Amino acid sequence: MKVHYEGSEKIPAPYDKVWEFMNTPDKVASCLPDVVSTDVKDVTHFTTVVKVGVGMVRGNFTFQVALEPNADAKQVSVNIHGSGLGSVVDQTAVATLKDEGDGTTTLDWACDATISGPVATVGGRVLDAQAKRIIEYVFTQVREKLTGTPATAPSGS
Amino acid sequence: MATEPTTLSFGQPVKRKEDGRFIQGRGNYLDDIVLPKMIYMALVRSPYGHAKINNIDTSAALKVPGVKAVITAKELAGAGLDWMPTLAQDKQMVLAGGKVLFQYQEVAAVFADTREAAADGVAAVQVDYEPLQAVTDPYKAMAKDAPILRDDREKKTNHIWHYEVGDQKTTADALSGAPVKIKQMIRFPRCHPSPLEPCGCIADFNGGTGRLTFYVTSQAPHAHRTVISLVSKVPESNIRVVSPDIGGGFGNKVPVYPGYVCAIVGSLTLGVPVKWVESRTENLASTHFARDYWMETEIGATKDGKVTALKVSTVADHGAFDGAANPTKYPAGLFGICTGSYDFPTAFVEVDGYYTNKAPGGIAYRCSFRVTEAAYCIERAMDILADELKMDPVDLRRKNFIPKEKFPYPSATGWTYDSGDYEKTLDKALQTIDYKNLLKEQAEKRKRGELSGIGVSTFTEIVGAGPAHNFDILGIKMFDSAEIRVHPTGSALVRTGTKAQGQGHETTWAQIVAEELGLDVQNVLVEEGDTDTAPYGLGTYASRSTAVAGAAIAVAARKIREKAKHLAAHLLEANPDDIEWADYKFRVKGSPDRTKTMQEVAFAAYTNMPDDIEPGLEGVTYYNPPNLTFPNGAYICAVDIDRGTGAVSVRRFVAIDDCGNIINPMIVEGQIHGGLAEGFAIAFMQEIEYDEDGNNRTTNFTEYLVPSSFETPRWEVGNTVTPSPHHPLGTKGIGESPNVGSPAAFANAVVDALSPLGVRHVDIPLTREKIWKILREKGVTG
Repeated sequence: MKVHYEGSEKIPAPYDKVWEFMNTPDKVASCLPDVVSTDVKDVTHFTTVVKVGVGMVRGNFTFQVALEPNADAKQVSVNIHGSGLGSVVDQTAVATLKDEGDGTTTLDWACDATISGPVATVGGRVLDAQAKRIIEYVFTQVREKLTGTPATAPSGS
Repeated sequence: MATEPTTLSFGQPVKRKEDGRFIQGRGNYLDDIVLPKMIYMALVRSPYGHAKINNIDTSAALKVPGVKAVITAKELAGAGLDWMPTLAQDKQMVLAGGKVLFQYQEVAAVFADTREAAADGVAAVQVDYEPLQAVTDPYKAMAKDAPILRDDREKKTNHIWHYEVGDQKTTADALSGAPVKIKQMIRFPRCHPSPLEPCGCIADFNGGTGRLTFYVTSQAPHAHRTVISLVSKVPESNIRVVSPDIGGGFGNKVPVYPGYVCAIVGSLTLGVPVKWVESRTENLASTHFARDYWMETEIGATKDGKVTALKVSTVADHGAFDGAANPTKYPAGLFGICTGSYDFPTAFVEVDGYYTNKAPGGIAYRCSFRVTEAAYCIERAMDILADELKMDPVDLRRKNFIPKEKFPYPSATGWTYDSGDYEKTLDKALQTIDYKNLLKEQAEKRKRGELSGIGVSTFTEIVGAGPAHNFDILGIKMFDSAEIRVHPTGSALVRTGTKAQGQGHETTWAQIVAEELGLDVQNVLVEEGDTDTAPYGLGTYASRSTAVAGAAIAVAARKIREKAKHLAAHLLEANPDDIEWADYKFRVKGSPDRTKTMQEVAFAAYTNMPDDIEPGLEGVTYYNPPNLTFPNGAYICAVDIDRGTGAVSVRRFVAIDDCGNIINPMIVEGQIHGGLAEGFAIAFMQEIEYDEDGNNRTTNFTEYLVPSSFETPRWEVGNTVTPSPHHPLGTKGIGESPNVGSPAAFANAVVDALSPLGVRHVDIPLTREKIWKILREKGVTG
C-alpha cells in the first residue's frame, strides 16, 4: 500500500534555528507521537521505538531513521525504515525550508510511504487517515517545539 | 397382517449419530489434543508480496525465554526439505529461501514451550528484505517484460501450463457461421473456503519406536501419509496419520501445508510433540484459495435459440505455486464440463495457468475440481444469450437441454453423462416457485419502477472421481475403500478411506450397512481418519465420498451377505441356492416361515460355522468406479434491489436437486442449506483481494465476510430422483451441488433486475457498493 501526503507549516522562527532543529536527531525524534525510546547512533542516524495502533493492530514499531541534509537545496530528507507487528513501513519525507526574511520560515514537506504486512491489510480501511494524522502531527510538532507551544498527540485509533 | 417394510434405513431421515458429541461440546478437534511434553510452533511470515531475502537473523529469537529452536530454509535445505511437492505436480517452498513470493509466505519456524513464547520468538526474528516488483494480475504476469517469479524453473516465464479439450476447428467454424453470437469475459473471483476451524497439526515422533504419529486436520489422511513419507523419507509403515473431528474443510484441508512439514521437522529434531495451529489470518492469507478464473466465453446459436458451439478461453491465476488439488491429467480439473446441461454439438475449452505474487492454490472449494467455475460460466453465458435472443432464459434452457433419452450422453468435451432428466427437475422448480405468477409479479413491480429480478440456474455437476484409469493424484489412483466387520452379536464396524468434516458419514455409512445387511443403524459404528486402522482411500472432497466410498461400502456389505447366505443355508439346513434375501432376512425359497436374521447368522459365524466356511464375518472392497456421476439441479432465485442503496434482498430461492437415490433426506437437505449459504456468500460478499504491491486486503472476517443466519435467505429445497445407472446404490453425491449451482442463480437474478437499465453482465461478488455504483452511473440514484 502506497501513501503520499504533503503540507506546509509556517514557523515563526528564523531559518537557521529551524535548519539546526531539523538536523538534530534528538529534536526530530521528539516530534514523533507515542515514543517509547530513542537511541541516537550519530549526527544523522537514530532508532526509535514507537507505539502504533491501526484498527485492531496494536504494538510497538521500531523505526530506523536517517537524516540527509542538503544545505544548498535547503532540504532535509528523512528516510525511515520501520518494522514491527510483522509489517514494514518504508518512508521518505522531504522537508524544504524557505527563509521568509522576516524571522519566519516556511517548511514545505512531502512524504511517500510504502506499507506492507498486516498493518497495511488489517488496518487498510483506517490506515490512510491514521498515517496522515501522524505525519501532520510530526510537522506541527516541529513548529510547536520551535515556538514553545504544546501540541495535542493524535489518538491512537 | 403387518405391512412388510420396504426400507430399513435407506431413505430415512435418521438423526445424525455424530451430533450428540458435537452439540455437547464433546468433539475431539485437533486443538483439543494435548500430549505430554508437547511444545508449540509459530511461523514468521513475509510482510511483502515479492522480495529478496538478504539475511535472516534468529539470534534475538533464540534468546526469548521458552524458545527452543528456530529453523529457516537453510536448515531445511540440509535435509532436502526446503521444497515440497504440491498436489498439482509443482513444488512449493516449505520456508522461503532467497526470496518470498507472496505476502504471509512462511519464512521461519519458531519452536517454544508455550504459544506465547513462540509468538514472541516470531516477533524477534529479524529478516532483511529487499522489496521486488510484485505481480498480482495474471494478465500482467503474461507480459513480456514481467518479472519472472519462479526463477527455480527451467521455463523462464510465468506461464505454468496450457490445457485444452474439444474440437478447436469445428468450434471456430461453427462460431463464425452462427447467426447469433455472444461473447463475454466472465470472472470468477478468488475466494477462500475459510472453514471455521483453521488448519493445524501435532507431529509426534517417538525416538524409542521410530514412529511418527501425525495428528492433522486432513480431508485425505492416507494421501497425507504417502506424501509425508515421500518428503521426509520416513518409511510409510512408521507413519500414522490421525485426522480427528474436523470443523469444516471444503477443500482447504486437502493439501499438505509448509507448517505441517516444519512441525514434523521440529518433532524429529527436538524429540517432543510439536503442535501448530494457524490463526484465522494465516488460514485466509496462506492456505489454498479457490477459483480466480477469467473466462472469456463465446456461444453460437441459431436465430430460434438452438446452441451450435461453445468456446471458453480461460486464464487461471494460481498464485506463487500451483497448488491445485487436481487429478494429474487435468491441470484445469473438470472445467471441461462447462457445456453444462446443454446439447452443444461442438465445444472448445482452453485454460492457461499463470503464476502471480499471491497465495498458492487453487483448490476445489466445495467443488469437484473447477466444476463451480464451469457451471457459473455456462449458466451466466446462457442468460446473456437469452438476452441477445430476447428469449425467456427458461425457454432457452429447455430448448437446449440434453434430452433424457440421450443418456448416457457423450459431451463435446469428452465426458459421458450417466443419467439425467433435466426437464423433470426444472418443471418441479418452476412449479414450486410458481414461475408464471412470479413473472406476472415482476411485470407489476417493474411498472411501479421497482428493480425486480428472476435468476435461473439449471446446472450439471460431475463428481465421484475416479475412475482410476483416468484419475490420480500424485500417481495414486482415485479409488476408495471400505472394510466392514460384523460382530458376533450382530453389531458392526465400518471403516473407510474417506474422512468426514461435517458431512455426516457416521450416519450415512451406517445406513448403507444397515440397509444392505438388515442391521440396526444405531449398532453400526463408523470409523474414519486413522491410517493405522482404516483401509487406504483418497479421502473426502469433490463430492466423491458417497459416489466412491459409499459404493465400496455397499459392495463390501454384499460380499458379507454372500458369505452369510452360506451360513444361513447351514443353519436352515438348506442348499445355498435355495436361500434368498428378502425383507432383510435370509429365507428358504418357497418357505417364508423358515428365516434367519443377520444377527443370528453373525452369531453362527463365530460360534457355529460349518467346516468348509472360514470363521468370522468381514468384507473389504477397494472400489474403482466405472464412471463419474452427474448430479444436476434447477435453482430459481427472485430478488429485489433497493434503488437508493443498491441493497439486494433475496425474496425467494427454490433449489431442486437431483442427486440420484437419497440415503438420508435430512442430511441431503442440510448439505443443500450449507452449500447455498456459501454460494450466497460467494455471489454477494466474498473476494480475496490484493493491492498492486501484493498486500492481501482480506485477511480476516471483518474484510472477508461470512454470512450468518441473519443474512442468509430462506431456502425452499426439494428433489427429483434420477438414479445413477452404474452406482451400486444409484446415488450421485450432493455436498457440492448447492455451492456449484447457486452463484449463477443469484447473479442472473441481479442482472435481470438491472436489465431494464441496459445491464447485461456484472461480475460477482455483487456487493452493495458495486450495485450502488451501477445505479448511480445509470442515474437511478444520486
